[in-house]
Amino acid sequence: MIVPLQHVLILASLLFCLGLVCVLIWRSNIIMLLIGIEIMLNAAMLVFVGGANHWGMADGQIFALMIMAMTSTEVSLALAMVVYLYRRRKSVDVDELTNQRPLGHTEASTDTAVSQQP
Amino acid sequence: MMATDFWIALPLLLLAVGALVTLVVGAISRNDSSGYIIAIISALGAACCTLQAPPVGMVSTLGLSSTSTVRLFTSLFCLMAAAVLVLSKEYNKHGGNRGEEYPATILFTAFGMAALASATSLLTLFLGLEAMTFGFYILVASDLKREASVETGLKYLLIGALSSAFLAFGIALIYSVSGSLAITQAMQTTLAGSSVNPVAVAGWCFLLFGMAFKLSLVPAHLWTPDVYDGTPAPVTAFLSGGSKGASLLFLLILLPQAADAGMLRLPFWWFALLSMLIGNLSALRENRIRRLLAYSSIAHMGYVALALVAGSFSGYQAAAYYAVAYGVISLAAFGAIAVMERNGCGATLDDYRGRGARNPFASGVLTLALFALAGIPPTAGFTGKFLIFAATLKSGEMTLAIIGMLTVAVSIYYYLRVISALYFNTSEQTHQDQCTIGEVVVLSIASASVVLLGLFPARLLALLTFP
Repeated sequence: MIVPLQHVLILASLLFCLGLVCVLIWRSNIIMLLIGIEIMLNAAMLVFVGGANHWGMADGQIFALMIMAMTSTEVSLALAMVVYLYRRRKSVDVDELTNQRPLGHTEASTDTAVSQQP
Repeated sequence: MMATDFWIALPLLLLAVGALVTLVVGAISRNDSSGYIIAIISALGAACCTLQAPPVGMVSTLGLSSTSTVRLFTSLFCLMAAAVLVLSKEYNKHGGNRGEEYPATILFTAFGMAALASATSLLTLFLGLEAMTFGFYILVASDLKREASVETGLKYLLIGALSSAFLAFGIALIYSVSGSLAITQAMQTTLAGSSVNPVAVAGWCFLLFGMAFKLSLVPAHLWTPDVYDGTPAPVTAFLSGGSKGASLLFLLILLPQAADAGMLRLPFWWFALLSMLIGNLSALRENRIRRLLAYSSIAHMGYVALALVAGSFSGYQAAAYYAVAYGVISLAAFGAIAVMERNGCGATLDDYRGRGARNPFASGVLTLALFALAGIPPTAGFTGKFLIFAATLKSGEMTLAIIGMLTVAVSIYYYLRVISALYFNTSEQTHQDQCTIGEVVVLSIASASVVLLGLFPARLLALLTFP
């Protein structure tokens, strides 16, 4: 093999970090979040293909194919929900998913939210 | 393909074919209940087939294992799916959630759990877990009448997808070190004890972090209260009992194969400590009953992580026992909540005031389940906690075990708050709630098993063997 396994691992870790940063920073758009997760999964696939090449086995490549199938299912499900929400809200912003209480808020905050509504 | 292979694969085939038949029949028939009946029959049939499967030790050419632990968990998942279907039938009719997709998705989810349970390769294990999680993405968002439901589904999906990315990357790194997807070989190489490979350590870090999301261990627990609060109650029962049980089984399939799991002691130590403390303390301030139970489930997963810290045979056995016990208890608790909500009960503790008089049966089941969660004898919750703390003390983790026992004592307060709301407040309404026969049967069986598992744990423990 021309490219040693270590180089593949370094590239994959970089890709994974880029995807994670995209997920953590670009929180305002669900589509960008999904793209970030895709990049992270692509990093995993890259490691599988590199590992399969290193060991001369095909099972890692099969795993990569399965991850591809899995991600396409995941994205189709997520986009279905995004389309549904967009039709109702005209927005794909994660921070507007506040119909439920936002993460980590206590009872007091809903009481005020409810009392403000009327 | 030999006859034994067929017998081992039969429960999986039944679940998958049952789900497809449910979809086809639902498209033809105008009646909703036919889909539910077919789904219940195939789930029960799969459970019976698992119990009837050939004895332990049959090596299958399909790459499916069939030890007594696997069979126990597969039948548990199938029975739980059947119970959830019975509870959902009335709940969905009342909530206006029609369609055959719902029972079919429950069967697909149970299929994922069963596939995970019988996996011998990392690929099957991962795909089983993902198949189960996909089912839950749909089920969580199934109540399309409420906008909040889809929102919850999207939240759960984004978090779930993130955790599966971590999981896949962890498994990929472990594969690149070991060169094999067979669980036994991969575990022996990456957790060898001596001469630790840094890439393998990184792989285990990613894998544990991904699993912490699925098990809602602190610091990856924030999604739990929102998702538990926003889903239909029968789905919450399945999510809490089934998905947590299956994720625990994921770890219990991997860890006992390791030559020396000492490397994982430290992460589990912190997961256990933080989950027990934060879960129990946050539940103290909570006024909505489902969020309260969500925080309690975080705390319970902390106790299970405590059992995994021990890393011994008795620790794994205690964790597996607790997975079964917690599954049955949460089925009883959320089943009772489903019955009450169907009768128009709200979400906060105030709505539960005086329910003990209005709906004595469901309140009784809920009380029993809360006693079990609090760890009061003679329930399964007590026996499970006893086994966990015994295993932890034996392995020398004195400090953590004592902190755990103190948090258990603290947790009794918020469980008793719910019980006192049920019984020690009288309401003016004298109207009696209705329970259907199916609900009564399911809740009675669940409560009976909570008590029986607690009184006679030896029969169950004899089935829980690890290599």
